[in-house]
Amino acid sequence: MSLLAQGALLAADNTVPTGEAVTFWILAPIALGGAIGMVLARNAVHSALLLVCTMLSLGVFYVLQAGPFIGMVQIIVYTGAIMMLFLFVIMLVGRHTRDSLIEVLRGQRLAAVILGVGFAMLLGTGLARGVGSVTAKGLDEANANGNVEGIAKLLFTKYIFAFEVTSALLITAAIGAMLLAHIEKKPGEKLDQKVLSRNRFTKGNYPGPKSGPGVFATSDSVATPAILPDGTFTERSVSKVVPARELTLTEARPKATNGNKQDGEIR
Amino acid sequence: MNDIQLPAIDYAALLPMLIVFGAACVGILVEAFAPRGWRFVIQVSLTIGGLVAGLVAIIVNRDLEITTIGGAVTVDGPGLFLQGAIIILGIVSLGLIAERRLERGGPFVAEAAHAANSDGDKRQEREPGATEVFPLTLFAIAGMMLFCVSGDLLTMFVALEVFSLPLYLLCGLARRRRLISQEAALKYFLLGAFASAFFLYGVALLYGYAGTVSLTGIREGVLQSEQSGILLAAGLALLAIGLLFKAAAVPFHVWTPDVYQGAPTPVTALMAACTKAAAFGGLLRVFNVAFETTAWDWQPVLATVAILTMVVGSILAVAQTDIKRLLAYSSVANAGYLLVGVVSLNGAVGSSLFYLIAYGFSVLGAFAMVTLVRDSEGEATHLSRWAGLGKGSPLFSALFTFLMLGFAGIPLTSGFTSKFALFSSAWDSDQSVLVIVGVLSSVVLAFPYLKVVVLLWLNPPGEETPTVSVPSMLTRAVIFAGVAVTFVLGVAPSFLLDIVADAGPFLAK
Repeated sequence: MSLLAQGALLAADNTVPTGEAVTFWILAPIALGGAIGMVLARNAVHSALLLVCTMLSLGVFYVLQAGPFIGMVQIIVYTGAIMMLFLFVIMLVGRHTRDSLIEVLRGQRLAAVILGVGFAMLLGTGLARGVGSVTAKGLDEANANGNVEGIAKLLFTKYIFAFEVTSALLITAAIGAMLLAHIEKKPGEKLDQKVLSRNRFTKGNYPGPKSGPGVFATSDSVATPAILPDGTFTERSVSKVVPARELTLTEARPKATNGNKQDGEIR
Repeated sequence: MNDIQLPAIDYAALLPMLIVFGAACVGILVEAFAPRGWRFVIQVSLTIGGLVAGLVAIIVNRDLEITTIGGAVTVDGPGLFLQGAIIILGIVSLGLIAERRLERGGPFVAEAAHAANSDGDKRQEREPGATEVFPLTLFAIAGMMLFCVSGDLLTMFVALEVFSLPLYLLCGLARRRRLISQEAALKYFLLGAFASAFFLYGVALLYGYAGTVSLTGIREGVLQSEQSGILLAAGLALLAIGLLFKAAAVPFHVWTPDVYQGAPTPVTALMAACTKAAAFGGLLRVFNVAFETTAWDWQPVLATVAILTMVVGSILAVAQTDIKRLLAYSSVANAGYLLVGVVSLNGAVGSSLFYLIAYGFSVLGAFAMVTLVRDSEGEATHLSRWAGLGKGSPLFSALFTFLMLGFAGIPLTSGFTSKFALFSSAWDSDQSVLVIVGVLSSVVLAFPYLKVVVLLWLNPPGEETPTVSVPSMLTRAVIFAGVAVTFVLGVAPSFLLDIVADAGPFLAK
């Protein structure tokens, strides 16, 4: 919505350099399309990448409008750090995890779309009318000593308390992440390698790989258990869903395939 | 060229906040370094000590009226009063947060990371609760204190986040019924983040209008700005949405019943008392300082919101069957009464402050009593379970009845005096329609309170009436404070009315 306003702003002001206007009109559809696509995309990874598109375009806009610091911060912090973390989380959770698409409240989606579009239009037209005829001013004074210096000056003078108090926010966030995600191991609950392997094998587990079905067997059916070297059958070689059974001689005979002269003939 | 000068900082004015922030940071260090068995005792004493020290600093500062750090913080009479109110209500609600006798290990879960009802969750059922809740509470209270004295919208936004984030966390840490508690936390977090975005958008538009985010700057900008008034109106509307969300005004109230019901009851009490005070402190300051000169534009809108809030809150309270939800809707309706105070501007600042104290103590007492009614599943909050409690526990029922009558606004309680003071000053400010709606809606709102009273005394006890547990001294002190203040402000309100009258108007220069 603010983009619309910016568009109106740039279009109304005749002093906009061509390069700036061209960049804007190229990137604005990309930014908007990315934002809309982010909402519509079914795949969470696509959503995140589309959002990256939007954020990158916004970063370029900030740079264009003589705010290089915020533009770079937008690209480095938001796009570079936060969105990549986002992608990591999506990958960890599993990109196939999908939201349930069942509407819990009837007609909620329709109402949300109507209200959202209505709100966007209200703000967009309001802003276009509000700032459409305004020429930006004060930029040169704000950037007199350089953009970064200007921001630093504000940050460390007038807004120093807000800046310091932000640390409380960060502490809270760190504590919150710990509280919600960290499970403390009780003493004795953390097992070392020795205990782990003892736990694994004291039950009498066979440590090697399972023998495949049909190995040393009387037939090559997957249902026939393998015979161990000592001559006993091992049930472990047969899938649990296949009942182990002894086959009759005809059943166990190799089936006729191409090249067999005659059905049932043993070669 | 680049001579950056730090503006003059009046550390005395910031001292109360610095003390509480400092105590919170020390609390975090205690979590890291103190042995596990000692943490609870250290945290409780540290928290209470920090809050009391902050309160002392506020009392020492009581006559201070100063704008410091280049206008970022404005310490004035109402601001100091609100800070003091938040600290006092915070100390009282701490009694509920630190209660460990009603339930083994306290009302908070030991390790929130265990999935609800998993094996790990069952194992930790009887372990002592997380002690991180104390520094989190301190951070929340410090944020609220800053919120009430912010001189510009940027500081206000940071303060809003500082007090919201710990509350989102605390909501999800209930020991019993963990799923509903986590749902409450998530709901509050998502909607709160949404409201914060509105707030920020409003700040941006107001900056576009006035060229500054300081409240006094916006006040002057209204008179001088060459920008289109649309920016002012849209910015004000979006800013108000962010603030009204925290204040739980209709139509931004939908989170209230769910969050109040799901959050651990001590946190619900903290939110109902302190967050309400902070939110209305912010609303009063923003509208009295920044937008007083445009009052003609926004008063009708805010009056509509106030009427909606009073009517919807009181009517929906009638239909509730859960005591925590009932108190949540009653808090929505009370937000409506307080909005009448906001609409009435300077004339009603003092009585709004009085109302915040009176309501805060009553609601703390009421939620403290809700924590006592228990069965094997934890708190029994469904109203049908409360039937006939008066037979077995007459003292409990008598005190709860008194608080309910206080909410209903019966004379000799603070509910009456505070409503009377608020409505009469609103009447003097020519808000007669709001006063009439307010009186009518408080009549409607008396019905659910009296329904609870009838339920307690006249209904026969059910099959499995829960028991009223015997709490430790902490919860007893909270109940005593709630009932005593409700009574004292009901019969002798003049000393507090004098204090709020002395607090004077907001500093607007």
